[in-house]
Amino acid sequence: MEFRKLKELPVQVVIKQKLDDRPIVRNNRLGCSRRLVAELQDALDTCAERQRQLEQSLRVSRRLLRAWEPAETPTPEPTPGPETNEEAPSPACTPSPQDLKELELLTQALQKAVHVRKGISKAGKRDNASSLKSGSIATSATTAAAPHWASQTKLPRGTRQATRPAKGLPKPRLLSAGDQTCAGRGPLAAKPGPGLRDPQKAPSAAPQAPEAFTLKEKGTLLQLPMAFRKAASQNSCLWAQLSSTQTSDSMDATTSSKTQFLQKMQVTSGWPSSRLSAAEVEAEVGRLQKACSLLRLRMEEELTRDPKDWMQEYRGLLTLEGLQAIVGQCLHRLRELQAEESGKEVPGCHPRRPHSTVLTEVVEQQLGPWPEERPPMASLPCGGGADPTWSPQLLLYSSKQELQTLAALRLRVDMLDQQIHLEKVLMAELLPLVSMQEPLGAPQLALCRAVHSLLCEGGQRFLTILRDEPAD
Amino acid sequence: MGRRRHLADAAGALPEAIAALSRSLPAGPSPEIFRRAKFDRPEAAPALWRLLFRVLSLLRADRASASRAPEAQARWVKAALRAQGYPRLGLARLPEDGSQGSRELLLALAWLLAREPLPERLLAQTRVRLGDEMPVCECGALASPGQPAPRVDTAGPVDVRRLQWLMGKLRFRWRNLMASQQEQCALLGKIHAYTRGCHGDRSLGHLSVAETELLRDPEGGRQLLQRLESENARLEAALEWRRRELVFWQWMDTVLGACPPEASQPTFPPRLRGRGRRAGAWGPVAWELQALQEELQAAVGARRAAWAARVGGQGPEWSAARQAAQEAVGRELAALRQAWARGGGRAQPHRPHRLVRTEAGGPGGPGLRAAEVIGVLRSREACLEEMLCQLQEQCRQQLARLAGALPGLIWIPPPRR
Repeated sequence: MEFRKLKELPVQVVIKQKLDDRPIVRNNRLGCSRRLVAELQDALDTCAERQRQLEQSLRVSRRLLRAWEPAETPTPEPTPGPETNEEAPSPACTPSPQDLKELELLTQALQKAVHVRKGISKAGKRDNASSLKSGSIATSATTAAAPHWASQTKLPRGTRQATRPAKGLPKPRLLSAGDQTCAGRGPLAAKPGPGLRDPQKAPSAAPQAPEAFTLKEKGTLLQLPMAFRKAASQNSCLWAQLSSTQTSDSMDATTSSKTQFLQKMQVTSGWPSSRLSAAEVEAEVGRLQKACSLLRLRMEEELTRDPKDWMQEYRGLLTLEGLQAIVGQCLHRLRELQAEESGKEVPGCHPRRPHSTVLTEVVEQQLGPWPEERPPMASLPCGGGADPTWSPQLLLYSSKQELQTLAALRLRVDMLDQQIHLEKVLMAELLPLVSMQEPLGAPQLALCRAVHSLLCEGGQRFLTILRDEPAD
Repeated sequence: MGRRRHLADAAGALPEAIAALSRSLPAGPSPEIFRRAKFDRPEAAPALWRLLFRVLSLLRADRASASRAPEAQARWVKAALRAQGYPRLGLARLPEDGSQGSRELLLALAWLLAREPLPERLLAQTRVRLGDEMPVCECGALASPGQPAPRVDTAGPVDVRRLQWLMGKLRFRWRNLMASQQEQCALLGKIHAYTRGCHGDRSLGHLSVAETELLRDPEGGRQLLQRLESENARLEAALEWRRRELVFWQWMDTVLGACPPEASQPTFPPRLRGRGRRAGAWGPVAWELQALQEELQAAVGARRAAWAARVGGQGPEWSAARQAAQEAVGRELAALRQAWARGGGRAQPHRPHRLVRTEAGGPGGPGLRAAEVIGVLRSREACLEEMLCQLQEQCRQQLARLAGALPGLIWIPPPRR
């Protein structure tokens, strides 16, 4: 078979234009594909928005994992001496002599632990587990013993001056301990001693050693400020209370007075009460959409099932007939809604409605009131946690791979949802177009090829069309 | 004496209730405004217009409307209320310059409050999120079910190559999104691992990005704290409102009573819709349902015929079994209907979850396991892929049929991967 060059045929396709705009095709152009472009553009915009949000989070996360600027280090350290003594931010802050004594004992124990650990590591065992353990003991002891000096650092006190020297404090101890890996832990454990007993001395004695803080090395030393923790726990407590009042909402007096009020509003108003609002219609159409997909799933399931005995066969038959009945009902409901929207007469509703649309328009002019503009219905505010009874739920993962798989799958599911939606739109718009073509000119074939690739291959692959003409 | 005290208490309770309501709402006006609105004083109107606008735009998650002029805001409020089904005509007749109508606006606000727990819902939408969250729900966050804002920029015909280009662009954006998402997960994992043991709450165990950020940046942390504290204040106000609201509803009855009755106009259809506005939205659903109906018809027809041919000897146990089968199928289908019924399906986890990193072998506390969610997502993915393949196959068959009608051409499909 020879590949012949397709002759360029001038093609003109003229289709009579009807009132509801029919697509016109000239060469490669598709008339009235505004909807297609709008849908694609919408999809692109949603993606762009999501990308923007992701990049914002990425910026924040990357910044957290780099070395923190010295001016921004966390401040689980005491504020400079004189200020501390004067301000005394909260009664829990001022340590009692009892506490101080206990702290002394604790720090002695911790210092001993540091020496022990130093001995172990000097013996050559770089055992991460033990260092972690001692480190965590140190940290938990520190956290237990010194919640008050964490609260002293109630967010910013202009503690920049203090942070640098305080942070620099670990450094000389660090070198003396000779333990490189668990650098921050040991010295930090020793710090409460000087920090509290001689608040004056600590900042002045410290050398200015700018060691950058990285999350990797010292992340476990961080501690949230007391004010924040209090606010956060109060927050979750209040939310819990609110959701419990929600669920126990059978408070008769209030609920009944609310219902009464709504009824009175309806009764004293000028509208006929049986109309559905736009929001309700939207919701119902959404439900019908969902119904359609669920029914289809059930049908597929039933059709692929292989009946083993007559009973199963009978049940399968009944199920399919039942599904058919439900689909019929859904379609009927949809038609009802459609008719109501466009103001047409539906048997059984509103017998006194005028028929002519002209009269309707005149009346609309008279009523005039409701503005034409319809605010766009936002998509389901799902991601916004719109459920008022939301109490924080946890999602536990155990490794980076697991989290990545989870996120990737979520994205893939969303993408497939979008693709299916676009596919349906494409089918609705493009198939009628292609089926109307008669002439076989090159432009038409190019169009067919393009449509095929868009519909069947997601726009990624193309088929080949060869003109089968006998060789001369 | 007791009665007078009761009245005095009641008199005090109302302003407090309204004050609580006001504190729990964003941009809440003072109780004095409410009192003036009862007597339809003009000076109360602008504050109520603003409040309604704020509340409705938050409810509809409409970000674009923030910067409108007051007249435009008033128009928007009217349209939004109408879309929700607000029954009173009086609102529609109000002038949009905010010069009068405070009583009507008060009624509109009360109507919104009566229908749903408004303060709670608004608070939930603007909730301060302290954890790293991942939504775990069924609704597709990216699919817009049939409601794109109609852009009228390309009034003329569109080249199919533009469509191809747009599709390619979309694929590229998806790939970018995937890559960024993977990176973000890796970073999150690291941050969670590095801050192990720092959180006061044992069940959480580590800090989230927001919490670590607040430690890194004290200024930002202070703002976060402020937001938390103001949310706490609003939550407390909402709780107080819940306790006291009965007094408010009793008062609203008097307000409604003070209104002159509206002239009812039952004969005229009040709908004001542009013709064909919903042409786009009806199309897909109707089309799909019809397609489904045709398929079911064919399937049922075939099975009925097969069954009729099969049914042979029928004993007395046959009718009993038949009855049982009918009931069972009826129950099953009723349960299926529940899945899309009004208010049904709420039990599904429809909320974002906070990510918490735990040790692999540990029993863990309360919470959803990632492995389960992954399983659910995988089955959903398989289902959707199946659906997409079917749709594409349908197109292929239809196009092949058309191709068959055109003689003299050979169509070579692309190689399947």
